Amino acid sequence: MSMQALISGAECATTSNPLSQVLKHAEGDRSIQRVRVTAGPSSSLYRLPPSSSQAPSAADLAAARQFFEQQQQQSRGPALPSFDVERLRNMNMSPGGHATPPPAAVDMAGAWQGAARPTFSPQLTPGGSHAAWASEFELHRQTASPSAQTAEPMYRPSAFMSQRQFQPYMPMQSWTPPVAVSGKGKGRMTDADFDAAFAALSTHSSAKIEEVDELTEGLQDASLQDNDYMSEFQKSWEEVKKNAANNPLSQPAAEELARWEAQFNQLNSESRLDDDLDYDKQLQEAYEQSFNQYDIHEPGVRIGEDGVPDFGAYQFEQDNKYMVEDAQSRSFLAEARDLLANNGSLTEAALLLEAAIQKGDTGKGGYEAWVLLGETRSMDEREEAAMKALAEGTRLAAEAGDPTQGLMSLAISYTNESYERASYNTLLRWLKARYPGVEVPPPSDMQSPWALHAQVQDAFLAVARGQHTSGAAVDPELQIGLGVLFYTDSQFDKAQDCFETALGANPNDYLLWNRLGSCLSNGSKPEEALGAYRQALELRPTYTRAIYNVGVACLNIGAYEEAAKHFLSALAMQETGNGGADGAGNDKSAQLWTTLQRCFTYMNRNDLAEMARKAAPVNSFRLEGFDF
Amino acid sequence: MSDLKEEGFQASEVLAAIATSFAGLSDDEKKAQIKKVNAIFELQLKNGSGKTGTWTIDLKKTGSVYKGPAKPKADVTIIMDDATFCDLASGKLDGQKAFMTGKLKAKGNIMLATKLDSVFKSAQGKAKAKL
Repeated sequence: MSMQALISGAECATTSNPLSQVLKHAEGDRSIQRVRVTAGPSSSLYRLPPSSSQAPSAADLAAARQFFEQQQQQSRGPALPSFDVERLRNMNMSPGGHATPPPAAVDMAGAWQGAARPTFSPQLTPGGSHAAWASEFELHRQTASPSAQTAEPMYRPSAFMSQRQFQPYMPMQSWTPPVAVSGKGKGRMTDADFDAAFAALSTHSSAKIEEVDELTEGLQDASLQDNDYMSEFQKSWEEVKKNAANNPLSQPAAEELARWEAQFNQLNSESRLDDDLDYDKQLQEAYEQSFNQYDIHEPGVRIGEDGVPDFGAYQFEQDNKYMVEDAQSRSFLAEARDLLANNGSLTEAALLLEAAIQKGDTGKGGYEAWVLLGETRSMDEREEAAMKALAEGTRLAAEAGDPTQGLMSLAISYTNESYERASYNTLLRWLKARYPGVEVPPPSDMQSPWALHAQVQDAFLAVARGQHTSGAAVDPELQIGLGVLFYTDSQFDKAQDCFETALGANPNDYLLWNRLGSCLSNGSKPEEALGAYRQALELRPTYTRAIYNVGVACLNIGAYEEAAKHFLSALAMQETGNGGADGAGNDKSAQLWTTLQRCFTYMNRNDLAEMARKAAPVNSFRLEGFDF
Repeated sequence: MSDLKEEGFQASEVLAAIATSFAGLSDDEKKAQIKKVNAIFELQLKNGSGKTGTWTIDLKKTGSVYKGPAKPKADVTIIMDDATFCDLASGKLDGQKAFMTGKLKAKGNIMLATKLDSVFKSAQGKAKAKL
């Protein structure tokens, strides 16, 4: 803020305090306090030295700035502009003093404000109020303490700061005593100086603005010549004050004013030009640090009445290479189907499907591509994307009059992510869609959170028994549903039976082999599970989830190295997608990374665990001796 | 974690073990766990000699276990015997059976009580295969 702006603004001629613009600026900049409140102990800002003498200039500036801010608060706090005006009026009526003096602190603050005003913008005061000025100045004389005492507060700004930083919301008024004292310290000129300054300023105040400008420039020049002083100021505010105290008091008032103005200008301009930028950055860093350190909470997923989590809309991959190609003639959906049928990369297939959906090629009933995308994502060990796509797909399928589509896959995805109630409700939806005639009795106990499971399981069992007694063909999907219900209830033996029954009907279904293996693995039979996974992977070598599950089984057996290799090869499988070798733009499964990280921790390889935490390029693990 | 323990409560040992396993989780794992469970459980346990103790499992804000009532308010309060808690944690008993036999009572958002099983399972530190 320049002097020019202070003196030539239109509102400056009104009764409002001309310093208000300065205050606005100061008010906007509380970053230092905020940082101190929000930042944890790790923040570099937090460790601002209590004494500024050895610190670099940035810290000094911060301290000095805060000091100034307090001063400005003081001039706002105890002596509000309205109070000031009122006071001036009183002074006009009864110059020389007042009958009932306010408390000393307010008094001094008010007097100080009166003294500060002519210092900054003498020419602003209408000529008519000279008498008031004089009287106020007189008041200052009466209330001002001896100069020896007034210099004292200047050695204590750090003490104020350290108090402030822990009590950021303390009302300003409560700071009146120290602030007023420090303000008084600011005006450490002797009475004689004041007289001289005031006399000079009174003359100037009625002069033309150009002349004032000249004066201002002159003052600035004077301050620039005072290089010693300036550098001292940059080093430490404290030392500056010492220095200033050592200066002869007979120094011309003009130079004193110039110094003041220069300090003020410097503070304002420096803090605005570069310091603020730095602050923003530091503030942000400090915020992020403290966030990481103290609050790992992410906004939880909203879960509906039926237990179904709301993940929001499906997020398509950025920079899908298939989207760039000119491919109006191609059917991405058909290509994806081919790729999936021929054991192609699941990640590639998912990209093709995304491209197909984004181009409006959603296939049968508008849901085919969505369901296929969800199932592909699930196979590729990206469950959240799978749930989003399947939620959309099942919605579209229901609209298209094909309501069973995708529901079983969706229920399984919910099960994997421990959204059991969503899973039960989805299975119930499937059962009602598949067997519209079946009556599902209401839950036996409305008060039990587990009643839903019993209700759905009973309904599935009733249908399965009915099929058995009537000699009808076994419905493999019904068996899968039943298997999922047993699985969520940790009845892995029964779940195993169900999946084996389903496999009897579809022996080449690699999904079923993996699910069987998963039942065995979670049922504490990881060795047997490996056999089932082998079947799955023989039928489908690129089945990322089965590879992951092999890793999990190895991990639970204690074969950590083997486990790590499998997790790495699963990750490598996901890497064949968009980003190429560098993995850019390739969002791999967080589940895979965290399990790999845990595996490395078991191996006492914290270095590798750290690499996994940072999701290092998969190939960099080959250098560590992992062949996958 | 020793501040979790209390004489006469076997459950406090189990809770200390759960707290240890939480502490061993990486940030990402903790985040994933919190995202899945997103609930604060207050456990009011009664031991054989009729004494009661309160512990809280926070899988909503901090991912921690502490002694005393939930701060902030629990989403679900679970009331049971010390022994029932130990059976649940070890997998000898599941929440459904405990609830049906009246060994487990829940207040608040009782649907969240079903999540307790998965909390115990994840605390065992075993990686879980996926369907």
